[in-house]
Amino acid sequence: MEDLDEFRATVRDWCRAHVPADWRRAQTGVPDEDYVAFQQWWFAELRGAGYAVPHWPARWGGGMPLARQVVLYQELAAHDAPRLVLAFVAIHHAASTLLAAGTDEQRQRHLPAILGGEIWVQGFSEPEAGSDLAALRTTAVRDGDRYVVNGQKLWASGALHADWCLLLARTDPAAPKRRGISYFLLDMRTPGIDVRPIKNAVGESHFCEIFLNDVAIPAASLVGPENEGWRVAQETLGAERGLTMLELAERLGNAGFRWLVEACSRLGLLDDSLVADRLAGFETEITGLRALCRGLVERHAAGRAGPADASIVKLYYSELLQRMTDFGTEVTGLPAHAVLRKPASSGWESGAWLLDFIGSWEWTIPGGTSEIQRTIIAERGLSLPRGRA
Amino acid sequence: MTAGGFDQIHDELRAVARDILGKAGAPARPGWRLLAEAGWLGLEVPGTLDGADATFAETAVILTELGRAAACGPYPGAVLGLGALRQLVPSPGRDELLRRAASGETVPVAVLSDGSRDDVPGGGTPFRLERTIGGPRLYGRAAFVPDAADASHLLLLSSDPDNSKMLAIVGVEPDAAGLGVEVQPVLDATRRLALVTADGVEVPEASVHQFAGDSEAAVQGLLDRAAVAVACDSLGVSEAMLDATVAYAKVREQFGHPIGSFQAVQHACADMLVRVSVARELVDAAVRAVAAAPGHPETAVAASMAKAYASAAAVDVVGKAMQLHGGIGYTWEGGIHAYLKRAALNRSLSGSPAAHRRRLAARYR
Repeated sequence: MEDLDEFRATVRDWCRAHVPADWRRAQTGVPDEDYVAFQQWWFAELRGAGYAVPHWPARWGGGMPLARQVVLYQELAAHDAPRLVLAFVAIHHAASTLLAAGTDEQRQRHLPAILGGEIWVQGFSEPEAGSDLAALRTTAVRDGDRYVVNGQKLWASGALHADWCLLLARTDPAAPKRRGISYFLLDMRTPGIDVRPIKNAVGESHFCEIFLNDVAIPAASLVGPENEGWRVAQETLGAERGLTMLELAERLGNAGFRWLVEACSRLGLLDDSLVADRLAGFETEITGLRALCRGLVERHAAGRAGPADASIVKLYYSELLQRMTDFGTEVTGLPAHAVLRKPASSGWESGAWLLDFIGSWEWTIPGGTSEIQRTIIAERGLSLPRGRA
Repeated sequence: MTAGGFDQIHDELRAVARDILGKAGAPARPGWRLLAEAGWLGLEVPGTLDGADATFAETAVILTELGRAAACGPYPGAVLGLGALRQLVPSPGRDELLRRAASGETVPVAVLSDGSRDDVPGGGTPFRLERTIGGPRLYGRAAFVPDAADASHLLLLSSDPDNSKMLAIVGVEPDAAGLGVEVQPVLDATRRLALVTADGVEVPEASVHQFAGDSEAAVQGLLDRAAVAVACDSLGVSEAMLDATVAYAKVREQFGHPIGSFQAVQHACADMLVRVSVARELVDAAVRAVAAAPGHPETAVAASMAKAYASAAAVDVVGKAMQLHGGIGYTWEGGIHAYLKRAALNRSLSGSPAAHRRRLAARYR
């Protein structure tokens, strides 16, 4: 306990010295280059303190005990620190995939590079493979010591700035759809790649289409065995989900909820019993979410995570975020509609309530929609008979 | 001991409890001797008084299993009574009560609040002691007191005539002159609530017990214990109904398929599991807090969150269970109604969800 208090004090001091006081204003409405530069700068700052990849194993530069990670995320949120948006896929999805299924050579090549700022994107979804991800059509054909890839990826968040891509492609068109998929690491500088941004409902363009035209991937960039890519993707999902959610849940509690209370206080709404009741309800649910996330990480580390635990956390966070930002929009009234931009590098709850509310569908739709999560929870978590979908 | 060690002890306790209660009928009516022999009555009693030296964390396992079995009997009331006794200044009388409670010879039930007022989180002393020439006399009333009608010893929270700032616990026998214990029938047939009235009950000095520490904090700790005990029961009710619904959805066929393969049913079950999972986290946290730091302000927060969430969730979960069971779910024979009534009663016991959220929201100012 004392050890944790001491660590908390250290993180607090660090935050006071390193979180720029005016970054929210400065990062509102900035050009893309400035946002990328700011993200890279902040990543380097965190790295310097040992806070960039606390969840990684010690030998790769992490090794922070879980209880300290929770404190770190609490304090970063409490001090309104920027979030690592650009590095998110690299430090979570890419790292957990490499650690679980990568070769030593792949880990040596990429984990230090990620810590050095290498940016990654996930190339999973396709126009005809959204919720039915296993229906993906992008093909990878073996040609000597390389694969030649053709197809189209969609909703690839951050693809414009990515150095590398986690790619799922079909290597056996004749096999049942989940059996013929392989997992690749794709260098985004390879010829034949065309990235086009798509504007989302909030008006941002961070997710993209990736067109792949005779793109060559060395055979050494295959992760796991050929045609086992679906299994690799599924197995790494649970690990990354717990760790990513830990940070997001602490942020929801220590930043989002605090701002909601502050907004209600400013508007004199704390005396309104309906508002007070809703606030206490949200605080209760966030407390439950934080415990769920921590439990997931602990059970995963102990090899005891249930088959639907990650889906429960994702579904609950997504819908709680949506309800909370909806409430924030409702209580702050018309002024929320006049907030036309939110700061780049802010969290899913930035205090720009309407934009946050609209942005919350980026949680209930991608990464398996809430409907898909419910089906997974029912079929894997509760062992109900498989449905027709 | 490691957390894993405690987990294992709790798993074993849970398995034994489920087995014992499973054999006690539906709803379960376990005899008091059975509970004493299982060691559940003395869990939190000190070893020197023939107890098990365990904590509220172990008691909570039993409370949850009683909810799961929709069990009858005054165990929750006795848990509160034992909790109250442990907060009192040790005396031969108190120690004897603890010893006899552990062995099942007596059922001490605490009366801390008037259930007709939904202000439990804030408290409000239901009884008052008055000094008379013939000795202290007790006055007051408390409605809807769980298990009071099954108590062999009542522990009434009272103001202390000698010190207006202090509260005391007054021990009385149910048949004392001037004391009324009148059953108040409720729709939940698995519970017995009573109106307890005291109209000048003569109290021997030895039966007036002072709290060992700050009485306000002690009472707060007991009210939190009561609220978390109800939350445990609600969690057990939710778990039972989720399990029953999933089992039914796997075997009940319509349109040529098990109904559990239909997305509408699957998603409803998934929502039940999510609610139960969140409730379990909040209840676990509150149980740990009550065991480790009774009366602490943070314990009160955890208790209010657990009571508000778990007791409301149980009503929703049982409601969904009734819906997904279809026609059979609505029959008397089907038995789900018993859980719905129990869940609804739990929601109102020990402070409504709204009352607990009021207490939470007071911290925002």
